[in-house]
Amino acid sequence: MTHHNRLRNVARVLATATALVGLAAGCASNASKSGSSSSSPATTSAPLVIGASVSLTGDFSDSGKAIQRGYQLWADTVNAKGGILRRKVQVKIVDDASSPTQVVTNYQNLINKDHVDLTFGPFSTLLTIPASQVAARYHYAFLAPAGGGPKVFEQNLTNFFFVQPAPTTQAGDVFAQYVLSLPAADRPKTAAYAELDDPFSAPIAENIRTKLEAAGIKTVYKQVYPSETQDLSPVMAAIVAKHPDVIIGGTQSEDAYAQVKSLVQLKFNPKMMFQSNGANSPLEFPSKVGANNTAGIMSSADWFPGSTAAGSAAFTSVYTAKYGGTAQQIDDSTAEAYAVGQLVEAVAAKTGKIDNATIISSLHSGSWPTLLGDLAWSSNGAPTGEFNLVQWQGGKLLPVYPSTIAQATPLSVKPNWGG
Amino acid sequence: MHALIQGLILGVLTAGVYALMASGQTLIFGIMKVVNLAQGALVILGAYLSYQLFTSFGIDPFLAIPITTVMMFGVGMVIELVFLRPLRREDRSELSLLVTFAIALLLEGIMSVSWSTSVRSINTSYANSSWTVFGYQVTLVRLWAFLLSLAALGMLFLLLNRTRFGRAVRASVQNPESARLLGVESSRVSAIGFGIGAATAAAAGSVYGLLYPFNSGSHYDLISRLLSIVLLGGLGSIGGAVVGALVVSVSSAVVAATVSPIWSEMTFFVILLLVLLVRPRGLFGTTARGAI
Repeated sequence: MTHHNRLRNVARVLATATALVGLAAGCASNASKSGSSSSSPATTSAPLVIGASVSLTGDFSDSGKAIQRGYQLWADTVNAKGGILRRKVQVKIVDDASSPTQVVTNYQNLINKDHVDLTFGPFSTLLTIPASQVAARYHYAFLAPAGGGPKVFEQNLTNFFFVQPAPTTQAGDVFAQYVLSLPAADRPKTAAYAELDDPFSAPIAENIRTKLEAAGIKTVYKQVYPSETQDLSPVMAAIVAKHPDVIIGGTQSEDAYAQVKSLVQLKFNPKMMFQSNGANSPLEFPSKVGANNTAGIMSSADWFPGSTAAGSAAFTSVYTAKYGGTAQQIDDSTAEAYAVGQLVEAVAAKTGKIDNATIISSLHSGSWPTLLGDLAWSSNGAPTGEFNLVQWQGGKLLPVYPSTIAQATPLSVKPNWGG
Repeated sequence: MHALIQGLILGVLTAGVYALMASGQTLIFGIMKVVNLAQGALVILGAYLSYQLFTSFGIDPFLAIPITTVMMFGVGMVIELVFLRPLRREDRSELSLLVTFAIALLLEGIMSVSWSTSVRSINTSYANSSWTVFGYQVTLVRLWAFLLSLAALGMLFLLLNRTRFGRAVRASVQNPESARLLGVESSRVSAIGFGIGAATAAAAGSVYGLLYPFNSGSHYDLISRLLSIVLLGGLGSIGGAVVGALVVSVSSAVVAATVSPIWSEMTFFVILLLVLLVRPRGLFGTTARGAI
């Protein structure tokens, strides 16, 4: 009896172990199949399913919806041309509620349950870090239109590509280059820096400060303010007391508007003003600070209306046809998401393949044309290009530097407020 | 020195707005012993209503205040009737923390759906105007907001001290049982009191929308500041709320302008801590009931 029981137990253990091994092998095979599936036009006409977790609710919902529009717009455009390698594109978007926990669950489900062919990235560094780790585990290429904070690149993931011209913290370098390109007599002599305490804004301003100080431009004020600071008037009052030639704001959005409004109220007009973010929003900025207070303010951007980069004109026309409005009202995030799709399309056109391994190896060599310009990456997914300098002139946000993309001559002296 | 004096001017003018917000908070506590964690959300709702009246009908935010205060008075009464009145009197102080926080989240959700989470601001033609006085800038909006807040606080003072309703409020605060025996309907006083608290939030919200960009999530920062003000001034004391608002605003502005914005919030909390160590009930809080 005891011997029988023991045999039965051994048999049960073996059966369970066999089942578990089988299950694990199945999962691995599935995951591996989806991660490295190679599909050629000759072998399948099944739709190409692309999964993305996007913040449709929560803190990032505005930008999340802009990204959703970009992904969908690209899919519609490519499907109108017959799809990629004759496969229609389906974009499966799930909401992560701006939560880093939910974004992990979403990508796990997209890869293991829905068996999507490819994955596109979410919004923000906060969500991109855990999401890119999930994608790396299953050998999926991970193209992210947002989330270019330093910590993303510190992961050294070879499957990751940040689809913007440069890492976010280098967005202001083009302003420093412009200032240093001016004749010495025209350069500002003193600078003030007001920086929002977050992983993007302050580092952008600090990078500019390093370059300007090295060129002899004296820092007369430099302070970091907490993100919960509601009233920036006292900070701007302190800057006004120093009378700097140039004010550099390491800003996001609300604080950018508050800086400008405070300066107008304090009746101080610097010769030059640069804001890392906020001022580069064609739709929001004039309505928040008053359209007549925008003249001369500079910022940086990757895409701009009227860009002659690859596919930009087509993107603008399909966007306005589908969503209405004008090119000036298009959110950068939509253009960046559209560029993610363009890259996949370009890899397929060049290699005749659309699997993850091909996308990863292809994007790691050479440069790739998008509506953001030609993009190339280092091994950790950090783009190696430069942003464009944009400036408000005549009520429009125009690219002014470098000269290769400029639509107007930069105003080196900012017009007065209300001018 | 220039930055110091400019910071001082900014701090004093801003204090009026916070005093108005905090007076509603402290009034509600005085009458009902309810710490209203929804006061910040009510201020933001007031700002949204003002924004909507301005963008849809072109009504100036200052002129919209009579409309928004009446609307918010109604909202406040409904909140009291539906959410707070069912609470048992003996549990009300503790449970009201949870209930009013839930109300704040509910209001935040409604505002997110109605106006999305995009940041809004009310840009009137005079939003960026200022007067130069002896080389210092006095912002027009802040000055008007300050004067409006003084007027509203004065009206609140008169309401509580010169009217029959005010006497009923003070009687209910001092001794609810005796007030009831003398014919004061404490439940009615509570509903009207909460309504007035919400109405002050509406008035403050109109001004807040003129001064700062806001969205549905702005109430979190606001409520922590309001609680600090009423704690410093003493829970239940309107005079304390005014002094608390002055200390908060002036210390924040002066330190931000002369030392560092990082230290400005910290400085105020150090002051709050020191005051509470010496006077645990705040500057004007009393041990006896009835300190409105």
